Amino acid sequence: MPIQEEATVVVPSEDPVKSKKEEEKEKEKLADGKDDNKGEGEELSEEDLQLRNELEMLVERLREPDHSLYKPALETMRGLIRTSTSSMTSVPKPLKFLRPYYPELQELYEKFAGSVEDKGLFADILSVLSMTYSTPLAGHTTLTYRLDSPHPSPPGDWGHEYVLHLASELGAEYSARADKGDSPSSPEMQKLSELAEECAKWFLGHNAEADAVDLLAECECIGKLADLVDTVNYARVGRYMVSCVSLLIPPDDIAFLRTAHDIYLRQSRLPEAIALAIRLNDPTLIRADFNTPANPHMRQQLAFIIARSQIPLVWLAENPEEAATDDVLTSLPEDLVSCLSNINLSTHFKAFGKELGVTDPRSLEDIYKSHLEPSSARSVPAQGVDSARQNLAGTFVNAFVNVGFGNDKMIAEVEEGQSWIYKNKDHGMMSAAASLGVSMLWDTEVGLGQIDKYTYSEEEYIKAGAFMAMGILHTSVRTEIDAPIALLTEQIENKSVPLRTGAIVGLGFAYASTHRSDVLAILLPLVAEETLTMSLAALAALSLGFVFVGSCNGEIAGTILQTMMEREPTQLTDKWSRFMALGLALLYLGRQEAADATIETLRAIEHPLAKQAQILVDICAYAGTSNVLKVQQMLHYCTDHITKEDKKDEPAEAPAEGSAGQANEEKKDDDDTFQAFAVLGIGLVAMGEDVGAEMSLRTFNHLMHYGEPIIRRAVPLALGLLSTSNPQLPLLDILSKYSHDSDLDVAANSIFAMGLIGAGTNNARLAQMLRQLAGYYGKEPDCLFVTRVAQGLVNAGKGTVTLNPFFQDRGMMSLPAVAGILTTLIAFIDAKSFILDKSHWMLYYLIPAMYPRFLITLDEELKPLPITVRVGQAVDVVGQAGKPRTISGFQTYQTPVRLATTERAELATEEYIPFASVLEGLVILEKNPGWEDEKMDI
Amino acid sequence: MGNAASGLNPPGGNKDGQNKDSKDKKPQPKKWEPPLPTRVGKKKKRGPDAATKLPAVYPTTRCRLKLLKMERIKDYLLLEEEFVQNQERLKPSVTEDKNEEERTRVDDLRGSPMGVGSLEEIIDDDHAIISTASGPEYYVSIMSFVDKDLLEPGCTVLLHHKTSAVIGVLQDDTDPMVNVMKLDKAPTESYADVGGLDSQIQEIKESVELPLTHPELYEEMGIKPPKGVILYGVPGTGKTLLAKAVANQTSATFLRVVGSELIQKYLGDGPKLVRELFRVAEEHAPSIVFIDEIDAIGTKRYDSTSGGEREIQRTMLELLNQLDGFDTRGDVKVIMATNRIESLDPALIRPGRIDRKIEFPLPDLKTKLRIFKLHTSRMSLSEDVDLEEFVTAKDDLSGADIKAVCTEAGLLALRERRMRVTKQDFTSAREKVLFRKNEGTPEGLYL
Repeated sequence: MPIQEEATVVVPSEDPVKSKKEEEKEKEKLADGKDDNKGEGEELSEEDLQLRNELEMLVERLREPDHSLYKPALETMRGLIRTSTSSMTSVPKPLKFLRPYYPELQELYEKFAGSVEDKGLFADILSVLSMTYSTPLAGHTTLTYRLDSPHPSPPGDWGHEYVLHLASELGAEYSARADKGDSPSSPEMQKLSELAEECAKWFLGHNAEADAVDLLAECECIGKLADLVDTVNYARVGRYMVSCVSLLIPPDDIAFLRTAHDIYLRQSRLPEAIALAIRLNDPTLIRADFNTPANPHMRQQLAFIIARSQIPLVWLAENPEEAATDDVLTSLPEDLVSCLSNINLSTHFKAFGKELGVTDPRSLEDIYKSHLEPSSARSVPAQGVDSARQNLAGTFVNAFVNVGFGNDKMIAEVEEGQSWIYKNKDHGMMSAAASLGVSMLWDTEVGLGQIDKYTYSEEEYIKAGAFMAMGILHTSVRTEIDAPIALLTEQIENKSVPLRTGAIVGLGFAYASTHRSDVLAILLPLVAEETLTMSLAALAALSLGFVFVGSCNGEIAGTILQTMMEREPTQLTDKWSRFMALGLALLYLGRQEAADATIETLRAIEHPLAKQAQILVDICAYAGTSNVLKVQQMLHYCTDHITKEDKKDEPAEAPAEGSAGQANEEKKDDDDTFQAFAVLGIGLVAMGEDVGAEMSLRTFNHLMHYGEPIIRRAVPLALGLLSTSNPQLPLLDILSKYSHDSDLDVAANSIFAMGLIGAGTNNARLAQMLRQLAGYYGKEPDCLFVTRVAQGLVNAGKGTVTLNPFFQDRGMMSLPAVAGILTTLIAFIDAKSFILDKSHWMLYYLIPAMYPRFLITLDEELKPLPITVRVGQAVDVVGQAGKPRTISGFQTYQTPVRLATTERAELATEEYIPFASVLEGLVILEKNPGWEDEKMDI
Repeated sequence: MGNAASGLNPPGGNKDGQNKDSKDKKPQPKKWEPPLPTRVGKKKKRGPDAATKLPAVYPTTRCRLKLLKMERIKDYLLLEEEFVQNQERLKPSVTEDKNEEERTRVDDLRGSPMGVGSLEEIIDDDHAIISTASGPEYYVSIMSFVDKDLLEPGCTVLLHHKTSAVIGVLQDDTDPMVNVMKLDKAPTESYADVGGLDSQIQEIKESVELPLTHPELYEEMGIKPPKGVILYGVPGTGKTLLAKAVANQTSATFLRVVGSELIQKYLGDGPKLVRELFRVAEEHAPSIVFIDEIDAIGTKRYDSTSGGEREIQRTMLELLNQLDGFDTRGDVKVIMATNRIESLDPALIRPGRIDRKIEFPLPDLKTKLRIFKLHTSRMSLSEDVDLEEFVTAKDDLSGADIKAVCTEAGLLALRERRMRVTKQDFTSAREKVLFRKNEGTPEGLYL
């Protein structure tokens, strides 16, 4: 909305268009005295006096009955008004002098008897005059006169200020009428929106794109914008609209996205368009965009974007409901398939690592740097405390640090039997074996062979770990062989719980966000089976949630709801049940209203689990939308203090199974768990947008201050979620404070959150803090374990990967990534039952979020093409005048380069033109035909 | 307190870190909790703490996006308010009397009287070196109730009368000299009291007032608003008057200094005062700094042997740095006034420091008439006074001269106890004024 300026501020913006003959005479007349006609106060200079007299005379003439005089009088008056120069700080002279006559002129206009044309002219003049004179009480007089005029002159003729004023009245009038219930199709409303369009057109032509968008948005006809925008201003309009989206109220934001998509499509900016289509979650649009370009390289580029966003490939089929992924892929050319299924991700990643010189595996000591740890830690032999726990930590650190390179010294590059796996016991072996999958991540060919040998192990846990590794290996990669489903399906029916766990989880990893119906067929019976232990059923539901993330699949949702209703209440109080709820929630990730029906159904279920599920579904549905109402709702959940007295009443109905004390304790934990989810929800909802994210820091501060332990435990996790892989200093300070909290759970969660916000950044400051903490918690095995894991995370991929779910200039959210991080955090809410107990493998749920943070430029043959780029901090340039720099503090590098979360790259040469709009990930370049080598001159 | 082993003891030495034990541990005697890692001894960050400050809103141009972002911030603040209110209702945190009790306890610990010293150096979390006015420096402990975030080297601290431990921090260490410069009462002169000078008013409005009231206009245009203006012109043409009018008009903090005030007795005091001046201006931003008679310190640099001269030059160098140095100044606008612009150091008035130079010429005929009218509007003139006549005379009359003529004429009338000022009064008054004006320079003597 153009904010209403004070009426006195008039911008001298004379339009060059108005060079009419009559006016020129006037101008000459005025030019003589213009220099010093600036009297103030009562005394007027001669020129002013003359002007006043002239205007008086003109008004006098209008009073006379002689019709023939009206036209020249009005035209002279118009000329005088238009040519009046003024400063920003005062009212133009003619307007000042006409003020006393304004009411009279209004009356004259009512009784005006001249020709229609003259009346129009008169209306125009009154419209301009009322801009300065009208009181708020009088209503929108500028607009009224304007609409009254039969032949209005283009609004731009009266200068910038007039159009701004008109636009503000237009917006106000339109919304007032809409509130009254006028239908948008009524003639008055039509007239208003036509005028709005005219003004918008003028704005677009005069570098006021924001005003144009605001005006049309206010008149509810933002769709018209697509017709008005041209090649010059589409970029600015698009950028402005996209940055508005996350702040708008629901129906508007979709309209904005669609219009922006339309604009980009018309300008053939397909990368931007497809990004918006993916954001809209609209398979039809995505398919249309993907099939539009004739240029094969452009299609490859689009395929890269699709591959990064991990949308289900079935969406590219004509009718996604029936088609299978394979059908889609066979119908496409082979080069596109390889782009779409991310087959070369591992090759690119390894080449990138080689370029940066980080291929060599790192040992644990390289990460811990315990010689730098404060001395008190070393006085106690760290191994002596709990060597099993230490080794387990080593497993994770090794896995995270050497992720994707497939050459670590502990698991991958050792002979069988010597492997680190055998240094662990029982459940530790499972995680150790699964870490092979992490180490080999994305490299399906080599990895499969490596993992295969462990699947024949006699040790049940190693076998289970190997199955999990199989799934992890295929995260965000698709192969033709499709090994996971072939190998894991048979294990689903196995008797052994660990093996089944491994297989179920593995399937979830391998087919995250593919919407594959064959996986559905395998896993859904497990969810429905009532005799199955809760842990397996819950994990099956969770895996389904991963595979069908954001799909709103009714079949799965129905089955999970059914299970919740039919299972014994005691089973539902099991610690694993929350993952069943999460599985349900993930189905609605980012789908907003689509989840309403499910939430309603959940309300009908009485069990406390239903409340947890309800919150989980709610926060997932609005993940990354920065919807304030949801934040408010979540805060309400956190308001209550559930004290022990309250709890004692409730578990009375719970029949004792196992030891009564334990059941009681379980119950206690569960009752307020929903508050922890609500806290996570605030982070999850707010993370999509900067202002909200920053403001939610304040909210978390309050929660930390007033909250019960369960809330305090969740706050650091939510902070970690808010800025994953983006170690901002203030956040580091806050977390560092919490990591010394007297509640060890809060401390452990803060330490993990520190790992999360520094994931893959190699942040030295953070590493230093964690070393301090390792020394500080030298005698606390739990905290030490988490500290080690955090150290591993900070150095994840030796600084080449990111966990941030946002990509494409932080404009798009990767659903599997969000799902992965959220799952890990939920496991951390009750860390003592999961991560710090036997289910530490849940840390691997971070893997779906992991992605290389590289920029690799490719030539048209998709071969890496080294080129110089500038990399710097991204600057928000929305709504700024001119062509501001998009990055600040840049340095020039040769590609491939790595990009931090808030960094942006731009090409340093003009030799090539990128196909992609955002330089991130894999970018195809095209030779610039107009480029000339400057060296020729020398 | 007094425990030198800071920070590294692990919480609780019990090694049986079994999962379920954490709750059992609680009842044990409260274990010694290590202090939080603090951020003491570092330069204070400006503005509020990161956890409490509000996010900056971009773009700054006026548009819906900005409005939406502002509204978003407001929404969150409302949520916070609601939450905190609910919490206070449900769980009143600390009762009043307990607060009171703690306060008295702290007061007891502090004792009285308290010494005042300045903090020299911070050794670790709870020790520091302080110095007192009497001379010696002490290594003392810092009491635990002192807000460590406020401690920074050089700040003024309260000391215990016996142990000299730091028991408090004295904030607001602004130089009292600077506080004097702050204008409490706006001058009565407004723009209406300025005769003529229309273009000058417009220029000063554009470069000083508008950037403070409508910064978005400059943003839209894609330019940075001017940082400061210099008003120059022969004496008596209204430079100071205009500055007064600006002060009258604006609600921004108005600091006024005369150049000579910046010259101090001791070495380094002048530059320090300049620094303080601008620091205060920034703290109270938006603000306008008006330095009258800038030629007192702003003259061209030359090789000087006198220490005093050099000190003045150093003061100017500090001023140069403050105007356009390494640190960016926020909403601080500078107005300078001088009548000898040609003697000013070119570095001082280069664009970037002073972007606009506004000349105040001698009034032309019309303006002279207006000034005459302004000054005579409250006088009772006799019929025969024709102001036009005085205006058209070819004298170099400045605004101040005209005022002097009017006053003189009034005085002459008063001498004769007349109720009206006659033409005769004016004529003699003018001659008198003109004579005095040229008194210093006997015509033709040195030509």
